[in-house]
Amino acid sequence: MDYLEKIASHVEEGRNSDIGNCVDLALREGIPVRDVVEKGIVAGIERLGEKWKEGKAYLPEVLIAVRAAQAGFKFLEPALAKSTPVTKAKVIIGTIEGDMHSIGKDLVKLVLQASGFTVIDLGVDVTPGRFQQVVADEKPDILGISALLTTTMTSIPRVVEALTESGLRPGVKVILGGAPLDEEFARKAGADAYAKDCFQAAELATTFVQLSR
Amino acid sequence: MTSRERFLKIARFQLPNAIYLSPYTQGVWHKTLERWVAEGAPQEILTDNVARYRYFELDRIGMVRVEASLIALGPKGGAPFIPPVRPRFESRVLEEDERSRVRINEAGVTIREFKDDPERMPLWLDYPVKNRKDWDEYKKRLDPHHPERWLVKDWDSYADRLSKRDYPLGLDVGSFFGLLREVVGAEKLLLLFYDDPQFVEDMMVHMEYFSIQIVERVLKDIQVDFAFFWEDMAWKGGSMISPEMFREFMMPHYKRVTSLLRSQGVDIIMVDSDGDINELIPLWIESGVNGMWPLEVQAGVDAVEIRKKFGKECILWGNIDKKALAQGKEAIKEEIDKKVPFLISEGGYFPGPDHFIPEDVSLENFQFYLEYLRSLDQS
Repeated sequence: MDYLEKIASHVEEGRNSDIGNCVDLALREGIPVRDVVEKGIVAGIERLGEKWKEGKAYLPEVLIAVRAAQAGFKFLEPALAKSTPVTKAKVIIGTIEGDMHSIGKDLVKLVLQASGFTVIDLGVDVTPGRFQQVVADEKPDILGISALLTTTMTSIPRVVEALTESGLRPGVKVILGGAPLDEEFARKAGADAYAKDCFQAAELATTFVQLSR
Repeated sequence: MTSRERFLKIARFQLPNAIYLSPYTQGVWHKTLERWVAEGAPQEILTDNVARYRYFELDRIGMVRVEASLIALGPKGGAPFIPPVRPRFESRVLEEDERSRVRINEAGVTIREFKDDPERMPLWLDYPVKNRKDWDEYKKRLDPHHPERWLVKDWDSYADRLSKRDYPLGLDVGSFFGLLREVVGAEKLLLLFYDDPQFVEDMMVHMEYFSIQIVERVLKDIQVDFAFFWEDMAWKGGSMISPEMFREFMMPHYKRVTSLLRSQGVDIIMVDSDGDINELIPLWIESGVNGMWPLEVQAGVDAVEIRKKFGKECILWGNIDKKALAQGKEAIKEEIDKKVPFLISEGGYFPGPDHFIPEDVSLENFQFYLEYLRSLDQS
């Protein structure tokens, strides 16, 4: 039986109650933990991402898939503790100063986690200084910044400036997201990319990590 | 022609090239008003909506005084917003620091709010409805007949006064997705569509009952000119739920409310939803809704394209890019020129910004925007 295919299918379809048994059986079969993560859980999220791009999945479908992925990771915890780390990379994420919006940012966080990233969520109303401090402390591969207001997005370039001035900018890729933002704003703000949604954010993060290794 | 006649003719595509500046859809954030006062506008526009409408010489629109949609508790009638619960919960502060306080608000929602701006959107922390038992309790506060919901003491004389009005009158008629999201939370509600669809249906049934009762009671005594749903069920990437889910869970309820409205002569039925609503528009039209606001530009919504696609099936409000208002007169002129003359050429359009006006818009720019719109009126 192709357990990896089943795990991917359970994630894609959001069947969180079925995934634990499948992960358990896959491990008993001797399938490496890394394969269960990458060819099972993450593959399921990627398939959902394709459906999303085609307009065949909406937010409820994303949420149930993410929940199934989380359930899969939960069952993997004991095996993950014994194996070499399989996380793709570390991402810091937060909503910019003055902005309380969190739903979009939370969704990006969930999809990044389900895609195998370690995510540190700084929450909302994050000052440029705090972004810079956490980047200095945590040395992430990716920094994700979100804004939903035209009046708060203007603080984003200050984050990039702070990273540049402190010499941290070369070590971190900066991805922006949020309703009033676009690629042009990201370019002018000195970021590396703009992600229009949670799946594009995960794709960009994966690409940046692959290019850096 | 009275304001009311003018409004109705525009909405019904009978008065081309006319501008009606609805105050209802020229929303402004509190910080913006503070800026405008600092730039010379009178102080009372901060706390008095009517003073604001008069100062900017906006056209008049009234709303029936019943709590049936999001309720604005802010000092000038803006955010924070709460669902229309009656009786309201007792507000209780749970913790407080220099910048913010965490409290259970008047709708039972736990929020963190910020002291520097009374109308800044809060951070939502916890929601009162987590399961059916919670909902069964909570919906008692969504009783359409609760006396506190009806804000007029002498209903008969109020209805009599309104029968002689010369301005348009609207009625908030509730919400199916939006209000449930406010009390259940977005993530939980979206998951419930899969986890417990019957629970979602049961909540929708109650919201339909709520709307129907409000509409029946009001229309018995008052002829309103338009009805307004509030949903906010889209984001920059499109609808939050699939068209299939909309059809299954929402459309039947919408149809019963809109059929009732139309049977009573209310043929202007609007919905307020931020985000990219392009995919939702035909679903709303099929549901009996024929008007949309605010048509957010930053979400990719283009009123000109909608008009070309749906013609007179759709009354449009808003869609003037608030970012242009911040940029200056040339940008404002350009934004208005590329949309408004076409949109008003057959009627069915009420100009307005594509959401509340942010604080980067100067008083001078806003006044220019109003003046320039008025200059296009050839009716």
